[in-house]
Order: sequence, then C-alpha cells, then structure tokens
Amino acid sequence: MSKEPDLRPRSLVREYFRRHRWQYAWGFLLLAATNVLALSVPRLLKHAVEALQASDRRALIRFSLVIVGVALLQSVVRTWSRLAILGASRHVAYELRARLFSHLQRLPLTYYSDHSTGDIISRSINDMLLVRSFFGPGLLNLVNTSLVYVTTVTMMFSMDARMTLYALAPYPLFMFAVNRLSRSIFAHSISVQEQLASITSRAQENISGISLIKTYAREQEEAAAWASQSREYLRRALSLARARGAMVPLMGIMASAGTLVVVGFGGRAVIEGRISLGDFVAFNAYLAFLVWPTFAFGWILNTFQRGAAALGRIGEILAVPPEERDLPEGRIDAPLGGAISFRGLDFTHQGTRSTATHLKGIDLEIPRGATLGILGTVGSGKSTLVSLLPRVLTPPTGTVFIDGRDVTLIPLARLRHDIGMVTQEPFLFSRTIRENVALAARPFTALQLDEAVEDSRLQNDLPQFPRGMETVVGERGFTLSGGQRQRATIARALIMKPPILILDDALSSLDAQVEHEIVERLKRQKTQRTILIVSNRVASLSWADRIIVMDAGAIVEQGTHEDLVRSGGLYARIARRQSLATDIEGA
Amino acid sequence: MAGAGSGASRRGATSASHLDEEVLGKAYDARLMKRVWRYVFPHRKLVALSTVYLLLVSAAQLAQPWLLKQAIDGPIAHKDPAGIVRIVAAFAAMLLLEFGFRFGQVYYLEKTGQSVVHDLRTEVYEHLQTLSSSFFDRNPVGRLVTRVTTDVETLSEIFSSGVVTLAGECLKLVGILAILLWMDLRLALLTITVLPLLGIVAFFFRIRIRDAFRAVREKIARMNAYLQETLTGMTVVQLFQRERANDGEFDEINKAHRDADLQSVAYDSIFSAVIELVGTLSVAMIIWYGGGRVLVGAITFGTLVAFLEYAQKFFGPIKELGSYYSVMQSAMASSERIFALLDTRADIVSPAKPATLPSRSTPGVGEVVFDDVRFTYPGGIEVLSGLSFVIRPGEKVAIVGSTGAGKTTIVRLLIRLYDVDGGAIRIDGVDIRDLDLKELRRRVGVVLQDHFLFSGTLASNIGLGDPDIPRARIEAAARAVRADEFITTLPRGYDDEVRERGGNFSVGQKQLLSFARALAFDPPVLVLDEATASVDSQTEMEIQAALRTLMVGRTSMVIAHRLSTIQESDRILLLHKGRVREEGTHAQLLAGGGIYQMLYRLQFQQPETPAQP
Repeated sequence: MSKEPDLRPRSLVREYFRRHRWQYAWGFLLLAATNVLALSVPRLLKHAVEALQASDRRALIRFSLVIVGVALLQSVVRTWSRLAILGASRHVAYELRARLFSHLQRLPLTYYSDHSTGDIISRSINDMLLVRSFFGPGLLNLVNTSLVYVTTVTMMFSMDARMTLYALAPYPLFMFAVNRLSRSIFAHSISVQEQLASITSRAQENISGISLIKTYAREQEEAAAWASQSREYLRRALSLARARGAMVPLMGIMASAGTLVVVGFGGRAVIEGRISLGDFVAFNAYLAFLVWPTFAFGWILNTFQRGAAALGRIGEILAVPPEERDLPEGRIDAPLGGAISFRGLDFTHQGTRSTATHLKGIDLEIPRGATLGILGTVGSGKSTLVSLLPRVLTPPTGTVFIDGRDVTLIPLARLRHDIGMVTQEPFLFSRTIRENVALAARPFTALQLDEAVEDSRLQNDLPQFPRGMETVVGERGFTLSGGQRQRATIARALIMKPPILILDDALSSLDAQVEHEIVERLKRQKTQRTILIVSNRVASLSWADRIIVMDAGAIVEQGTHEDLVRSGGLYARIARRQSLATDIEGA
Repeated sequence: MAGAGSGASRRGATSASHLDEEVLGKAYDARLMKRVWRYVFPHRKLVALSTVYLLLVSAAQLAQPWLLKQAIDGPIAHKDPAGIVRIVAAFAAMLLLEFGFRFGQVYYLEKTGQSVVHDLRTEVYEHLQTLSSSFFDRNPVGRLVTRVTTDVETLSEIFSSGVVTLAGECLKLVGILAILLWMDLRLALLTITVLPLLGIVAFFFRIRIRDAFRAVREKIARMNAYLQETLTGMTVVQLFQRERANDGEFDEINKAHRDADLQSVAYDSIFSAVIELVGTLSVAMIIWYGGGRVLVGAITFGTLVAFLEYAQKFFGPIKELGSYYSVMQSAMASSERIFALLDTRADIVSPAKPATLPSRSTPGVGEVVFDDVRFTYPGGIEVLSGLSFVIRPGEKVAIVGSTGAGKTTIVRLLIRLYDVDGGAIRIDGVDIRDLDLKELRRRVGVVLQDHFLFSGTLASNIGLGDPDIPRARIEAAARAVRADEFITTLPRGYDDEVRERGGNFSVGQKQLLSFARALAFDPPVLVLDEATASVDSQTEMEIQAALRTLMVGRTSMVIAHRLSTIQESDRILLLHKGRVREEGTHAQLLAGGGIYQMLYRLQFQQPETPAQP
C-alpha cells in the first residue's frame, strides 16, 4: 500500500509551487529587476532637474535618453515577469484540474448518488479560478508589494529620513481605511450577489410555474412580489455603491496626499537648503509608487484566504478513495463465462439523496446461457439486483458470484469488459451516433458496428438522421426520440458481444413490433450468452427461460411465463391488467 | 428526455449565454439608445446631479498640479515659508473637495443606473406574466431568466462604466488640454502628439484582450458542458470503461483553455507594459523639450513640473477607451434582446370590449359547453378531435379516460391557457374568447393535481391576496373544508409562512388548502383534477367530505381518479382519443360493457397491483 497523499491546502500549495519553483524563481527575479528599473526613473528625474538648475543642456538630453532606455528595458522585463508568474498559475490550474477530473472518473458510482453534479462542477471550475488567483496574481502581488515597499521606502529614507517619516505617517491610517472599506465592499457585494441569486430563483420559479400562475390569475401579485424583491436588490446595490463611492476617491486622494506632504515639508526643506529641488521632484514620484501596493494589500489577503478555502474543497474530493487502487491477492483475471449465482444476499443501498432500497434473502442460480426475466413494482429492487453484477453498487463479499468467483474479487476492468449493460436511462453523449455505439474503450470493426446497428434495429432509424451514423446527438445536434435512444444504447451493449448482457428496463420506449424484432435477434444468439432482462411489461419477459417476480426487495414468485400465469399470483394479475390496457388502447 | 438532454436547463442557460456572447454588434445604436433614454428620463435629476458633481471633481483634481506649480514658482523659489502654508492649506481643501464630490458623483451615477434597471426589470417581468403559454413552450426557462437578470444587469453598465462615464472623462481631458495649451502652447502641442498613439494602442489591445477573454469564456463553457455530461453519465462512463479515453479528451479541452488563458495573460501583460512605456516616454519628452524651454526662460520650472503631473492624468481615461467600447457593445446587445422581449405580444389577451356574464348569484348560471373543439399542441399530435359536450348548471360530471385521452387539455382550454384550434367553448352561452381573462379565471375555479402553494402565508394562499376576499371569508372557507383543524394548531395560525412551495405541509393538508382556496372564490364552475397520490384512509375520508362541501351549488367537472367520486357524480363522460365515446351514470356505463367497463377494471379495481407502465 502506498502512503496516503497529503491533501491539506497547505500541502497542495507546497506541492504545486515546488513543481514550478524554477519558473516562479525566474519570475520573482525579473520582478525584482523591474522594481530596480522603476526606482531609477525618479532618480534620473532628480538628476535631470539638477542639470536644469545648472543650465546643462547636454546633461538634460542625456538623462532624457537614459529615461527612454530604462523605460524600454523595464517594459520588456515587466512583461516577462508577469508572463512567468501568471503563466505558472495557469499551468497549476491545468494540472490540478486534470488530476481532479481523472480522480472523479475513478470514484465509486455511489459517490455520484450522494453529491450533486452542480457542486462538483463548481469545484472544478469556480474553485479552480480562485486557486489560479492564489498561484498567479496573489503570489505576484505579494512579492511585488513587499519589494516595492522595502525598496521605495529605503530610497526615500536615503534622501531625507524626516520627510519620509512625515510622508508615511498617514499610511497606517490609509491602510486601516482601505481595509475597512474593502471588507465593507466585500460584505456588500456578497449581499448583492445573494439578492441576485434570490431574484434569479424567484424568476426561475415563476417562469417554470407560469401555467399555474395563469390558472390562478396571480400575474399581478407575482409582478408585485418581484418588484419588491427588485427594490430590495436596488437597496443593496446602493449600499454597495456607497462603500464603493468612498473607495474610489480614497484612492484618488491618497496619491495627492503624498504631494501635500512633499509640498508642505519638502518645500520648506528646499528653502532651508536641506534637499535639492531635484530631490523634491523625485520624492514626489516615489510616493506615487506606494499607492497601489497599499490597496493591493487587502486584496492579497482576501485572495489567499479564498484560494486556500477553494483548495480545501478540491482536496476534499481528492481525498475520497477511488474505487480500485490495488489488486488484492488472489484475483484471477480470466474471461467470464456467464454462470451467475446470488447466495443469501441481503443488501441495503442508502444514498443520501435517494430512498433506501433493500434486498432480502436473494438466492438465485442462473446457468450460463440462460435468459432470466425480472418483473416487479417500482422500488422492488430489480435494478439494484442487476447493478450488483458490474458493481455499479458493490455487494457484500460472499453473496454474488460469476462462474463461482466472488464478484468483489474479480477486477473491475474484467467485470466491465465482459458484462454489457443497458441502463434504465438511455444516456447518450453529445457526439456522433457512431461514437455513441462504439463507446466501449476497445477497437471495433465496421462489420461489428453494422451488426450491432442491425441487431438493435437502430438501422431502421438511420434514414431519419440527417447525417446517418455521423449525426451528432444532443442539444446542439439532433434530438432523438426515446425509442431511438434506447435502440442506440442497446447497440452500444450488443457491439461488445458480452458473455453477460443486462437490459435494465431498456425496452420500455419501444413499440411492440420493434421489441419483437430485437428479441428475435437476441434469441438467435441466446445460447452463447447469459441475459438478464428487467422490465415491468410482461410481454417483454414472456420468452425468458425463467422469470422472477420481485416485491419489496424479495423474490415472491418464479417460474416460466406459463407457470406464473397458471399459478394466478401477482404475475398473472399484472399480465391481465396489461392485456386490458392494450385492449383499451386498441378500442 | 434523458441522457444528453438531462440537465438541459442548466446547460441550456450556459449555451444560450454562450451564443449570446458571439453576437456583438455596434457599440452605439441610436435607435436603442433613444429607447434606453426613455427609461433614463424619469431619473434625469439624478443624471444632472451626478454631472454637476463630476464637473466639480474635475475642477478639484485639475487644481492640484496648478497649486504645485504655484508652490514651486512662488514660495519655494522666493524662500517664503508662510506662502507654503497657504498653498498647503489650499491643496488640502482641494483634496477634501475631491473626496466629497467624487463620492457624490460615484453614488449618484450608480443610483441612476440601478434605478433605471429596477424600472426596466419590473416592466420586463410584468410583461412576461402576460405572455401566452405557447410563448413559454417555445422559450427555455433559462433564457427567459437571463433576460430579466443578467441582461438587465449588463444594461446598467452603460452608466457605471459605459457612455456616461466616458462622457465625463472626455470632459476632463478637454479641461486638461485647455490648461496645458494655456500654460505653454508649444510644449502642449508636443505632449499631445503621444495621445493619438496612446489611443490607437489602447484601443487595439483592449479589443484583443476582450476577444482573448471571450475565447477563455468559450473554453470554460465547453469544459462546463463536458464535465456536466461526463458526471451525469458517470455510470455509462465506467460501465463502458471510458475513463482513460475521457482523460485524453478532457486534456484537449483543459489544454485549449489553458492556452487561451495564457494568450489573454500575454495581451494583458504587454498592454499594461506598453501603456507604462508610453507614459514614461512622454515624461522624457517633456523633460527634454520642456527643460529646454525652461533654460531659455520661456516657461518656469513650476510649469514644467505641472506639465509632468497633468500628462499623467491623461492616461487614465485613454487607457480605458477599449473597455468602454466593449461594455457598450454588450450593453447594446442586451438592450436589443430585452426590447425584443418587450415587443413580443401575447396571443391570448382579453378582448377590448369583454362580454358580460350574468352575475354569479343569478340562479342557473354555470353552464359549460364544448362545441366540436379541436386542439393540437404546437408541433405535436392532435389531442382533441371534435370534442362536444354540455354540462348543465349545477351538474356534477366526472371525466374519465386513459392516460393521454386529453383530460388535462380540457382544463387548459377552459381557462384559456391555450386557445382552441377549432370549435368553441362557451360559458353561459358566451364564447370564452369574448370574456375578460381575469374574469374567466375567477369564474372557473381550478383545483390542480399538484397542490401548488405560493410563497406567503396560509391566509394569502387561500385568498390569493385578493382585496375583495376579507379575512372572515378566508377563515369560513377553511372551516367549511375543515382545513382550520390543522391551521389552528400551527404557531401563527393563518399567518404561518409557506416555505419552498409548501414543502412543510402534507399532501392531505395541501389538498384541503386548495379546496379552501376554491371555496373562498366561490366560482360558479369548478374544475378539479383529482389527485392520484394515495393518502391514508382517514385523510381520504376528510378529503371526500370536503369535496362534497365544495361541490354544493355549483357546476363541477372532476377528472376522476377515485371510485367514490365517480359513483357520486350525476353523469360520467368517457374520453377516448380526443372525443367523448361513452356517457351516462356509473351503473349505465358498466352495464353497457364498452371501454368504460375495461377502464373501470383497470383503474378502479385491484388497487394493490403496480401502476401501469
């Protein structure tokens, strides 16, 4: 067993920072160089002013040219430094996202019945943006702010210590105010966002239920309720505007406040001859450097906090153990034959977001090459029973066997290679029909594809698809009918030629004729394959070698169609009702 | 709809906004702006206020470099410490004024935008309520939600960061220009030469940056869709062992996103560096040329410093030129979509001169006639093909039929959620299309199968906020159907809150509440879609008793799912494939041995067997 990876935010930061440490080092080095170059401009300004006072025209031109040179160099270095650091953050986000996705695909399927897709997507996308800010602008500004503060303040001190102290005196106050204001802006924008979410869901609710609103003639009341929600939004937006209204001018006057100090104290220092007029101008320029970093400070803190929280949420998913990491001892990877047995199976599946299903005392032997029909009410446990075979749900050890081997000891890859399952929901991906049929991860020949399309009767639908097998399915493509979807998913399982085939309520949207044709084809190859058909339609099951009837998680009747009809139990009653429904339909 | 179609609303919203982003047209459309102006007009005082503040802010800002010049040329040059104090005081005053005026300007501008948007949001929403059911069938929920939220919000940016702000900034530019020209014409002209350069660079890069960001958003949308689909279909992914292949596919998308992102970083970094470069270049230029002017005595040293300061103030607005353009583009696109929605007219509206029905209290009102009614859902199959029946005032009629026979459609047509394609529906001899919509919907009381509760209190759910229904009548209605028995046990009684569309009430309680609602309105015609959901026998008895009370003295049509309801009705209509196929009392129809007999055996016997597929 390998050591559990450490997935706390701090360790994730360390891991990914280390991975790109050279790029970061290079970026920080360039950032330092940028600052050195930037600092030299006021210095050059000072010399230019002094040259001016000395009426030295040639020096004036020389300094102007040097400023141009420095500016050119600085813009190049600055661009590089940003590219290095921000670029590294994009790579971190890319790597972390790939890792998360890969991990997600290998989680037990029960994870998905307990967690909402929306939440997982939000972590993969929105949280990843926060992580990216942490590793990019967050780190960049942290380093830059520190560099600017240290170097600029040093330069100012070297020019005039007393004036520097005076100039910096209001800064703690500024920082305090900026901090307070940005916190208030943050809180207000959260409150605006909340209200936006609330009016959005209100609109969503209203529009989805519009026919009810009309039925009860509630339009005016709904509009009035919306107006009051909108007014609340207005109120909150204005609170935010008030906080922002203070922040914007604060930034503006902070730059000028420095000038005020320079004029007040620097002017006097010039008069007293303590500093030159050049120092005066340079000092003013240095003070301007400090404005941005002071604002960035609160933002950096916030970025780090939110980034760490996002990393925590991503780490939470990464910490869920994947379905199968190592092969335990004694697993034999031989192809499956198809003899299935359930022995004394008791099973409870309790998803947090679904109701519990219980299976009780299931004992069942299905010989290789047999066809088993499973009939039962909604929630009787039919689907749960068949999903234990490919371990969509994992049964307790010692209860479910294929060829006498415990399914929990058969490698997942083998199980899923040899079991073809058509799920209840005919799920298709937004890609071509060909890709949807040849979905299983192995190569298929054109002949195999044709055969599967023929046997699933998808063939009859092809002329209706705008581009035949190359038709793209889905929202931006062609919309398939329920029956067409089912036929495509049946083809997807048949193409695998699996020794075990499971049809979980997979014939429900087919009309009787097509269903008959599919069943006829299944029968032809029946002996090579064990087939389990789940349905609540008697007609779909009547041809099976054996049929079991399930109720409340237990097998209540079993036998052939004829046996069950004769015995006059639940099966017989359902059969009668269904033939009645068919009669009414035909009337 | 399953599979690729599941989660359609979420992805529908993504792809809709994604598509919307592709179509960006003009940044300024006079026709649209004129229409936007109609919404601004009521708030013109706010606009004026904000503009005045803007002028004051600009003045306070522009005074500062000038004061610096005064300090350098005056007290500093003449070694006059007292003069410095005066200038510092003036400077401090300017700072305070700038702070105060700027606050007012930002606040009032934002207030204008938000107020306009509030008006618009309310109007669009109100308009949406009047549109017909077929409109909602055509337009996905996600798209309409976007119209009343995101699109409206985007429009507000015209004020905060669009044309209004731009106009203000331009004004400031003109001010600076005037001062520079006044101080020294030649140096001013030289300084101005960088402006077009800066403008072009800024515009060029901003557009690139905007396109790069849009590319990033597109990639994010793709990633979102891919994740959505893969996570939703995870069972299929794992069953068919797609994990490794998907890793590869996702990597393509992830990589494309990263590269687009890197591209945007590159443009952004180069842009800010170039802007800074141009700024420093202008500084060098002013020093070189302006310094020369100082040496020849054409300008003072203070003027030179002031020039440097003013030049810096130029860059702010010009830097943002491209972003104003983008903001305006999306705001125009949004307003176009919003106005298109506002211009959509409802197909089902009240007639200009509605016919009047006999008053509710007149004896013998409540006749309902369906006369050869035909109806087909948009793009669908014909549901009703020549349906005719007459329900006499005060008669209790049960409607039965198998799923898809058109029972629910009858209700929808009767209250004009849809209009008939052929034939007519008449109430007391008047075609319902000649009646006022609200009047029609109050005359025909509907109790639906899903006992829908609105957010609000229990009382408001019974009275629906109608001022004509006093509290006493609400309570009387609740008592009559014996809903008061559970209401009075609640902590706040009739004022108890309904949460999450009634999630805090049981099925039986919700049923009784909807009965009370129908009774409070006392409609001459009652249409009831009986619930199929099973309840315990005690509740069942309570509901049946309440139903009997409810039906007294009015015409009632019940889409029946309960045997007792059928047995107690005066007449049964059997609907089959869009027509009335059999009619009569329960005993008559059962004896007739037709479809009714089969349906009876299917639906009302052997209740322990599973639901029909």
